[in-house]
Amino acid sequence: MSVAARLKDPAFWAEWAALAGLIALVIVFQALNPTFLSPGNIASMLVAAAILIILAVGQTFVIATAGIDLSIASVMTMGAVAFGLSYTAGWGLGPACLLAVAAAGVAGAVNGMIIAWGKIADFIVTLGMLSAASGLALILADGKPVTIVDPVLLRLSTGGFGIFGWTFLIALAVAVIAHVALFRTRFGTHLLATGGAPESAAAMGISTRRIKIAVYSISGALAGLGAILLVARVGAAEPASNTSFLLNSVAAVVLGGVSLFGGRGTIVGPVIGALLLTALVNGLTLLGVAQFYQPLAVGIVVVLAALMTRFQK
Amino acid sequence: MAVVGALVAAGALALASCGSGEPAGTAGQTAGATTAAPRIAAVIKGLDNPFFQTMKQGIDEQAKTGGVQVTVQAANAITDTTGQADKLDGLAGQDFSCYVVNPISGTNLVQGLAKLSALGKTVVNIDSPVDAKAAESAGVEPATYIGTDNAEAGALAGRRMGELLRGGGQVAVVGGIAGDVTSGARVEGFQRGVPANIKVVQTVAANWERQAALTAATDLMRAHPELKGFFVANDDMGLGVARAVANSGKAGQVKVISVDGIKDALEAVKAGTLDGTVAQYPYTIGVMGVEACQAAAAGKRLPPNVKAPVEMVTKDNADQALAATPKPFGEYDDPFKALIQ
Repeated sequence: MSVAARLKDPAFWAEWAALAGLIALVIVFQALNPTFLSPGNIASMLVAAAILIILAVGQTFVIATAGIDLSIASVMTMGAVAFGLSYTAGWGLGPACLLAVAAAGVAGAVNGMIIAWGKIADFIVTLGMLSAASGLALILADGKPVTIVDPVLLRLSTGGFGIFGWTFLIALAVAVIAHVALFRTRFGTHLLATGGAPESAAAMGISTRRIKIAVYSISGALAGLGAILLVARVGAAEPASNTSFLLNSVAAVVLGGVSLFGGRGTIVGPVIGALLLTALVNGLTLLGVAQFYQPLAVGIVVVLAALMTRFQK
Repeated sequence: MAVVGALVAAGALALASCGSGEPAGTAGQTAGATTAAPRIAAVIKGLDNPFFQTMKQGIDEQAKTGGVQVTVQAANAITDTTGQADKLDGLAGQDFSCYVVNPISGTNLVQGLAKLSALGKTVVNIDSPVDAKAAESAGVEPATYIGTDNAEAGALAGRRMGELLRGGGQVAVVGGIAGDVTSGARVEGFQRGVPANIKVVQTVAANWERQAALTAATDLMRAHPELKGFFVANDDMGLGVARAVANSGKAGQVKVISVDGIKDALEAVKAGTLDGTVAQYPYTIGVMGVEACQAAAAGKRLPPNVKAPVEMVTKDNADQALAATPKPFGEYDDPFKALIQ
């Protein structure tokens, strides 16, 4: 598609609603408080956004097939607990990381298999997994946080390259790989077809079941990666619920212009959506907006951005 | 977040319905107990929080030493108000003589408690108080209230902050969920406790999450480069804030004081990464709750209002606190002990 044609395509604008919103926010916050765009603050915002970006990418894969993964945050919690248990059992960092990703990936695969073979709505299955995974995390951890002191994890969470923290660079790498997988491979084409027109996809010989299992496994495995970054960030593996990550991952994807009906979406959009949500809370804190007003402001921005998407279509 | 608020509601619903499959209690075992020993049911807050796990530990421990049967039920999560009410209703229909309750909100258990009061059962209110007005209009009369004074805990932290920052300066407050009663009381107490030369420049809500507290503290230090201290409404978040301070290379310059006294926090105080924690003793609250039931069963008059101990843990006494946890390390007053001897 030529540049001119793209600019005329309403879907193009729908996808970039988050970017327009982010730019608007940055201008407003910078005008009101010059520390907002200081290198130090940008660095801390990017690091703070890293986990959300990874979860939003996983959520995008699922939503692009017209599904939704409500269990993403509790699967991350479960991954963190698996990490904590194996690390304290003396497995070492590498195996513990692998276990976190594997445990979360298996939970995702279970979601996918029940949805694909059991023909049960995504919403219900992942809602069940939300509860089951957080329960499992509580059982395994006996409800207690485990402190993890690891020099490598500490460097991972505090070090970086210029203003880009390592965790943000990891998130960026995940986004790039996801973008390639979604738009440059046959798997990606099949995935979008499964979401956009499941009947025709099936008629063309695409195994929509396999696609479903694959996207939920990806979402789960990315939640596992998020778990490692979470443990690195707070220095502990906690069975706490992390509900805000679920809400924000869905919000970031919606902000990013990904259609909840599947078949249409980008990776860039949700990444920007995640940055927007992080920048919003950061800016409000810098400005000293009273705590009660923050959730209200976040809600308004999310709905406005969604409306913007709607108008462009 | 408005756009996905429905998801939370749905999630809470799912959690609540998943919990209802748990065994409702051990009434069958207690039915044959002697009349002098109370048959106790306890309904506490979510066991996803170490605070309430320790409380359960205290309840179980006292049940064992006192030789009484206790059935403990907990809400599924610290926000599961209706699920907790359902659990109380389930227990209310069974043959218990004394109910120990720790309501999530001031009013969520009032209906169930009204039924119990009408049946003449003993109600012991622990930790979070039942709203006085609602209780009165529903005819609920708790035999006693045993709890920690969260405002007092905050004030202790405030005074300690004053000792740490003799020259005064700016401090920030990291609270739990915006509008949460416990968080609010601790923060209010802190503001009352700090000397006049210390100014609270900003209060943020970090949802009781360590990660959120870390992010908020990083932002706050950016917004107020002169910041000299943080008061954090619980230890879990306090550890996140301490991490943020260390990450910014301000360890030692920016003081962090939190509330609860969980083991990790005591260790952090000992190591010097956390500058202090106000320890509350849910273990003792649990013990006292069971003792109150025992005293009531023995026909004793219960004191209406009992304060559980609160202690300021600093580097100097962290060792002592660690050795004694989950019990208090200092002396404290337990009026029920005398009543059941």
